[in-house]
Amino acid sequence: MADQHAVAAATHGGGGGHATVKTYINVAIVLAIITAVEVASLYIPGIPGPLLVISLLAMSAVKFFLVVGFFMHLRYDHPIMRALFVGPLIIAIVIILAVMALFGAFVLLPRVVL
Amino acid sequence: MADHAAAHAVHDPNIGNTGLDNRKVGMWAFLGSDCMFFGSLIGTYLAYKGKSISGPLPHEVFDIPLTSYSAALLLASSLTMVLALAALQQNRIKPATRWLFVTAMLGLHFVLNQVYEFTTFVLHHNLTLSTSLFGSSFFVLTGFHGAHVTGGVIWLLILVMLGMRGKLDARDYTKVEIAGLYWHFVDIVWIAIFTVIYLIP
Repeated sequence: MADQHAVAAATHGGGGGHATVKTYINVAIVLAIITAVEVASLYIPGIPGPLLVISLLAMSAVKFFLVVGFFMHLRYDHPIMRALFVGPLIIAIVIILAVMALFGAFVLLPRVVL
Repeated sequence: MADHAAAHAVHDPNIGNTGLDNRKVGMWAFLGSDCMFFGSLIGTYLAYKGKSISGPLPHEVFDIPLTSYSAALLLASSLTMVLALAALQQNRIKPATRWLFVTAMLGLHFVLNQVYEFTTFVLHHNLTLSTSLFGSSFFVLTGFHGAHVTGGVIWLLILVMLGMRGKLDARDYTKVEIAGLYWHFVDIVWIAIFTVIYLIP
């Protein structure tokens, strides 16, 4: 009984619940499919460059948030944990865009030469 | 029972005023700062992209099938990590230890693939840290990620040893969860690196 109490306390210090094993496996299958589509898209001729870049970034973002949301349990966690991660993540994205702008390097838009 | 758990939580020195585990809050804060660290490195790589005046170009050296295989290894290791955590939550120590070991081995396989990739770049393509802007930004970014993975593998193997010696049970859930957070973080960084560095033409 004492052990059960200790376990209950130990597993609820983070403030949230967790997904089931079935959900974990479903998420892993989706991640594998997206990765396969990402790699396959490189070998499909005729996809316009900007469309390829946008779709690769979108698929990567979906994978990113699936892992963070389900495997890292952020979806179920306390808002403080979410703020601690999402805030710096936004800053990191701004840093990437700022450094690229600083050097005139853009993934999607070529620099206009006047 | 809920009262007992709450009472235990109150007396747990790891639980702060917010009612959250300080170790977990600390790990999320660290991961947030690491996001900015990797953001800087990825930004620098993209800023230097296509500006090398010497040395091989990315598409001449990248081995996409090998890197895709490495990406699959890390994704699989994220699944085995959550399976370890789920087993530990049910106090099934042996399966938890086994899944932790599998996670560590998948991570080790990833690191060995990276060692092979780096060796090929240096020996067969003459691409080093000082060859070009591409070489510098690529090796620093992926090297730091590899160092993170190596640290994670060591951490997981320590947990495996604790499990094998009977020093790991469901009360250590948060300890393993924190290791898992770190492990999944190296996976999401690789998701970004794999797309931005390797896949985008």
